[in-house]
Amino acid sequence: MRKIILLLVVTSTLLLAQSAIAQEKIIDVRQEMADNLTSVKTAAKNNDWAAAQDSFDKAKDTWQNEVKPLLVEDQKEEKPRFQEYFGRIGEVEDGLNKLAQLVAGRDAEIESQVNAIIWGISHHPKGFDVGPPKYSAWDWVFGLGIGLGWCVFAIFFGLYLRRSYYRRYAKQSGM
Amino acid sequence: MPSDFIIIGMYLALMFAAGIFFSRNIKSTADYFLAARSAPWFWIMGAVWATNIGFLHGYLAHGGAAYEWGLIQANFEWFQGPFGYVLTGLFFIAFYWRAGVYTVPHFLETRYGPGIRVIYSIGWLIFFIITIAAELYLGGMFLKNILHIPFWPTVFVLAAVVGTYTLLGGLGAAIMMEFVQFIIMMVGTIPLVFILLNMVGGFEGIKDVLLTQWNVSPQYFSVLPDNHHPYGPGPWIILGQCFVVTVGWCAGHQSMVQRNLGARSLYDSKLGYVVAGLPKTLGAFLYIVPMIAAPIIFAKHGIFVEKADAAYGKLILNLLPAGMLGLFIAGLVSAGLSSISGVLNSSSTIVIKDIYERFMVKGKPDHHYFVAGRVATFGIMVAALLLVSVVARSPLIMWLEQTLLAILLGPFMAILILAIFWRRTNTPGSLTGYLVGSAFAIYYQQVLGQMVFFKISWWSFVVALAVTIVASLLTRRPKPEKIEGLTWESDFHARVGDITEQRAQNNGTKVTQMPEIKVTIPPWYLNLKYWATGILLVQLALLLFFG
Repeated sequence: MRKIILLLVVTSTLLLAQSAIAQEKIIDVRQEMADNLTSVKTAAKNNDWAAAQDSFDKAKDTWQNEVKPLLVEDQKEEKPRFQEYFGRIGEVEDGLNKLAQLVAGRDAEIESQVNAIIWGISHHPKGFDVGPPKYSAWDWVFGLGIGLGWCVFAIFFGLYLRRSYYRRYAKQSGM
Repeated sequence: MPSDFIIIGMYLALMFAAGIFFSRNIKSTADYFLAARSAPWFWIMGAVWATNIGFLHGYLAHGGAAYEWGLIQANFEWFQGPFGYVLTGLFFIAFYWRAGVYTVPHFLETRYGPGIRVIYSIGWLIFFIITIAAELYLGGMFLKNILHIPFWPTVFVLAAVVGTYTLLGGLGAAIMMEFVQFIIMMVGTIPLVFILLNMVGGFEGIKDVLLTQWNVSPQYFSVLPDNHHPYGPGPWIILGQCFVVTVGWCAGHQSMVQRNLGARSLYDSKLGYVVAGLPKTLGAFLYIVPMIAAPIIFAKHGIFVEKADAAYGKLILNLLPAGMLGLFIAGLVSAGLSSISGVLNSSSTIVIKDIYERFMVKGKPDHHYFVAGRVATFGIMVAALLLVSVVARSPLIMWLEQTLLAILLGPFMAILILAIFWRRTNTPGSLTGYLVGSAFAIYYQQVLGQMVFFKISWWSFVVALAVTIVASLLTRRPKPEKIEGLTWESDFHARVGDITEQRAQNNGTKVTQMPEIKVTIPPWYLNLKYWATGILLVQLALLLFFG
C-alpha cells in the first residue's frame, strides 16, 4: 500500500512538473527573442553590423519558428491563454520588417525600433484597458451607503459596547 | 556580478549561522513556538511587518499586481493594512492573551469547542503550504531572472536556508531574523524608489506619460476604482477586503498573531501591532509606485517582461548598479525568507498544537512535542516544494492567494466577531455558520464563477454571520463560566493569569501560563491611542491625495 501511495505521489508530481514546463515555454521563447534583439542593439552600438545582422536573423527565426506557431496554435484551444500576444502579431511583424531594413542600411538609430518590438512581445498591464470610470446613481448610493453606514454603525455599536461593559463592571479610576 | 554574489552568499550564510546560534537556547515548546514570551514591542513591529512583506505579499506579487492593475494595489498598504493592524491591536489581541493560547484555532476551541479548531487548522495548513510554495516559486523565478542561475537548485537552496534556521531556532530565531531583515529591506530597497522617480519625472511625470501620451485608463491611477472594475470594484474593496479579509488576516493569520503572543507583555503586543501599520503604509512607496512607472521604463529601454509577477525583478536588474544590486537582492531575499520562516513556524505550530498534541498523541513530555515540531517543520517544507510546480501555473499569484483567503477568512471573521461581541453565540451555531459560509464561498467561486475575490469574502462573511446567529438562537446558550474572559463583556481589569487559571479550573482544559500584565504608564510617545490615531490620519491623508 505504501509503495502504491509513494508511486502515486511521484507520478502526480512528475505530471504537474511537466505541465508547468509547458506553461513556461511561451516565456522562454519570447525571452530568447528579446535577448537576440538586445544583442542587435549592443552590436549596432559597437558598429559591428555583421553581429547585428546575425542576432537579428536569430531573433526573426525564433519569432517565426517558435513564438508565432505557439500563439497560432493556442488560438485553437477552447480558452486561449496567449490572446494578448496573438493580438499583437501584426504589430511585431511590421516592426521586424522595419528593423530588417534599418539593419541592412546600417542605420545607427535602430534602438527605438528594437525597443518597440521587445515591448510588443512583453506582457502589457491589463489595467491599461479598463476604460474610464463610470458612476451610475446606484453606484453613488452604494458607495455613500457603505461610508455613512459604517460611521453610523461604528458610533452606535461603540456606545452599546461601552454601556453594556460598564453595566457589568463599575468604572475604575483612570478610565 | 561577483560583488553581488558575495553579498548574497554572505547574507545566506549569516541566516544559516543565526539558526544554529539561536537553537542553543531552545529548551521547550514555549521557547520554540512562542520565543519564551520575551520580545519587546519594536521587535514585534518589525517581525509583523517582515512576516507580512515577502516575495508574495510585497515586492514581487503585490508589485506584479500593481504593474498589472495600477495604483488600486496600494489600497492594501494605504487603506486596508493599517486599518487591520490598528483594529486588531486595539480590539482582538487582548482576547488571545486572556485565553492563554498558542494559536488562533486554539482560541476558537476555547470559545467554541474542538470541532471548529480542527476545521480551521486544516484550512490554514493547506493555505500555508500553498503560501510557502508561492514564496519559493517567486523567489526562485526572481533569482533566476536576476542572476541567471537555474530555477530548481535556487528553490532548494532557499528552502534549505530558511528551513534550517526556522527548524533549529523556532519563533525566537524567526523574530530576531525578521527584525534584522526589516532593516535590510528598508536600506536595500529605498534607493530604487529615488532612482526610478528621478528617471520618470516624479509621480506627475508618470501620470503625464501614461494618461496623456499612452491614453491609459485613468482608473490605472485610482486607489478605489468604480464599481465595474474587473479586478477591484471600489465599494467591494471596502466591504470585502477592508472590513473582512484584512482584519481577518491580521486577527486570524497564525503567523501574524503568533508573533504577538511572543511579546513580553500585552501592551508590547498591542503596541507592536498598531505601530506596524506605519511601515505598512510606507510599503506602497517601495513596491507599488515603482511598478506603476515600470511600463514606461520597459517600453523606453526595451526591457522584456514575460509576466506581471516577474516585472519587479526585471526593473531592478536593469536599473541598479553592481554592488547596490547585491544589497537590494539581499533585502528582497530577506523579505522572502522572513515570510517563509514565519509561515513555516506557524504551520508546524498548528500541526503540533492543534492537531498532533490535541487529537493524536496526548500527555507526552514537552520534549516529545518539541522534537515533533521540528519534524513537522521539515515535512511542511517538503510538501511545499512538491507544490511549487502547481503554483507556477497561476497567471497572477496575487489573485490565487487572495481568492483562497477570501474563502478562508470571510466565515472566520463572522465567527470571530460573534465570539467576542455576542455572548449568545454557541458551538453548534459557530460550526454550522463556518461550514455553510465556507461552502458558499467555494460554490460562489467554482460554480457561479465569481472572479472578484472581494465579493466572495464579503458574501461568505454575511452568509456565515446570518447562519451562525440563527443556529445559535435555535440551540442552547453557552454556559457563562465557559466563556468568561473571552468576550467583550468580560472584566478587562482582571489579570490575564487569573482568568486563564480560573477557566482552566472550570473547563478542565490545559492553558498556557501567561506572563503578568505590567501595569505601567507608558511615556506619551508610546501611547497606543496616539499611534492608532496618527496612523489612521496618515491613511486618510494618503487616500485624499492619491484617491
